[in-house]
Amino acid sequence: MSKGQNSGGLMSSAGLVRYFDAEDRNAIRVDPKTVVAFGILFGFVVMVLNAVGL
Amino acid sequence: MGWKEAAEPLLTRMPSVVRPEGHVPFKRKLGWTAGILVLYFFLTNITVWGLAEQGNDLFGQFRSILGGSQGSILQLGIGPIVTASIVLQLLGGADLLGLDTDDPRDQILYQGLQKLLVVAMIFLTGIPMVFAGGFLPASSNLADALGVGIFGVQVLIFAQIAVGGILILFMDEIVSKWGVGSGIGLFIIAGVSQQLIGGLFGWQGLTGNIGFLPAWVGIITGSIDIGSPLTAEGLQAIFMGQGQLIALVTTVLIFVVVVYAESVRIEIPLSHARVKGARGRFPVKLIYASVLPMILVRALQANIQFLGRILQSQLGAAGMPNWLGVYNQQGQPTAGFFYYFNPIQAPGDWMWWTGIAQEPWQVALRVAIDLTFMVIGGAIFAVFWVETTGMGPEATAKQIQNSGMQIPGFRRNPQVIEKVMERYIPQVTVIGGALVGLLAVLANMLGTIGGVSGTGLLLAVSITYKLYEEIAEEQLMEMHPMMRSMFGNG
Repeated sequence: MSKGQNSGGLMSSAGLVRYFDAEDRNAIRVDPKTVVAFGILFGFVVMVLNAVGL
Repeated sequence: MGWKEAAEPLLTRMPSVVRPEGHVPFKRKLGWTAGILVLYFFLTNITVWGLAEQGNDLFGQFRSILGGSQGSILQLGIGPIVTASIVLQLLGGADLLGLDTDDPRDQILYQGLQKLLVVAMIFLTGIPMVFAGGFLPASSNLADALGVGIFGVQVLIFAQIAVGGILILFMDEIVSKWGVGSGIGLFIIAGVSQQLIGGLFGWQGLTGNIGFLPAWVGIITGSIDIGSPLTAEGLQAIFMGQGQLIALVTTVLIFVVVVYAESVRIEIPLSHARVKGARGRFPVKLIYASVLPMILVRALQANIQFLGRILQSQLGAAGMPNWLGVYNQQGQPTAGFFYYFNPIQAPGDWMWWTGIAQEPWQVALRVAIDLTFMVIGGAIFAVFWVETTGMGPEATAKQIQNSGMQIPGFRRNPQVIEKVMERYIPQVTVIGGALVGLLAVLANMLGTIGGVSGTGLLLAVSITYKLYEEIAEEQLMEMHPMMRSMFGNG
């Protein structure tokens, strides 16, 4: 944990959702690759279900 | 026991994307950003399983700023995130949360609350979309084949768009932590540029509308007949109709105004307390709060319209009182409360001489309400935005103090710096917010290329400008690793 400052400094207005450096030890951490892999997989599953054409 | 202690076990356990350890090379950052963008486009092209037909788009004209696409698994787009952000801004701006974003413990709670609210909004916007009206009609064939009934298929549809909504949230987090800029910004730019390119170059078979350039090729070669340019009808067609000259001028004007306004600033001189000769400036930009609060005002208007359309689909045309709203075949309000609160989206909405169904005074009332909403709403949300993102006088004074700078001629004291800041920041924020609101309404009234809407264009240009600044800073750090410590990230 840093000095408790916002990581972006003055650039903190960049997004609608704000992320800080602070993290809780209990938090569930997700790897970004997992999210991307899940997104691709989910897309393909829905695509296949559509193609099977029920 | 306050709400903080009660909600702590839940809020601290919200899943989040891991932060990169140490510095991420610029190329890798670009890689993540591009990868997420590709994934976003891929998902917007996948139709939800179990739909009978495309259905009416509940987002309607607001689609260009809310992202996603009708009937796809990204049906909800960034809608839930934006709506959750409105709630958080209002709570934070009115100081009802009691969270101090300088305290690590409260930062964790804030992040958790943010996620929880987005999930709540996915349910609040997703459920009416699926279960009310013909926005996402369920396929009865599938219901028979699976033997789960229409309700079962609707649950399946909702599950898919809910997963899509949560994916968007995590994709935004990946871009914010591992990439350049923010995911929300990226998705807005992606949608607006797609529409803009379509509006410039698209032809009938591709986009369903004739784009600007093909239309002019047609006008010059004579395959599109606009009549003589010397008559009133011919001029009307060149400027407002097929020729779209006014739309082109508006689009270019918005680009120019935003880029110019980004450079209009009041600079407060700073000098270092100990290092003689080290000078700096603190810029208070005219659009200090950036254009992002604007999306919140538009989303508020969008939510009022959703309410109207859902009420209409539930009560039916006969059950809905006329003072509340009368809808045409396309699902557009034509009279009543929801007509007046529907923002102007295109020139055809207010040009009474082109033969629209409303009386001039009704149109004038609608324009007046839209203007008031955007100008006052823009100013209010800009003020809240500045407060909640730590750009207010108190927070910036603390930052300047911590960096060892001071305003020459004043005592080195955060309260003194705050006093000086208070002379500029609140005024500039209000003026900037109101100005951006006014611009957005004017751009919509005059029309834009590809119908991207004034707000969409304002957002896209200012986000791109910010992105450019960030990339420049990023490259500077890449070339001079020493700079990294100056910008404060390790």
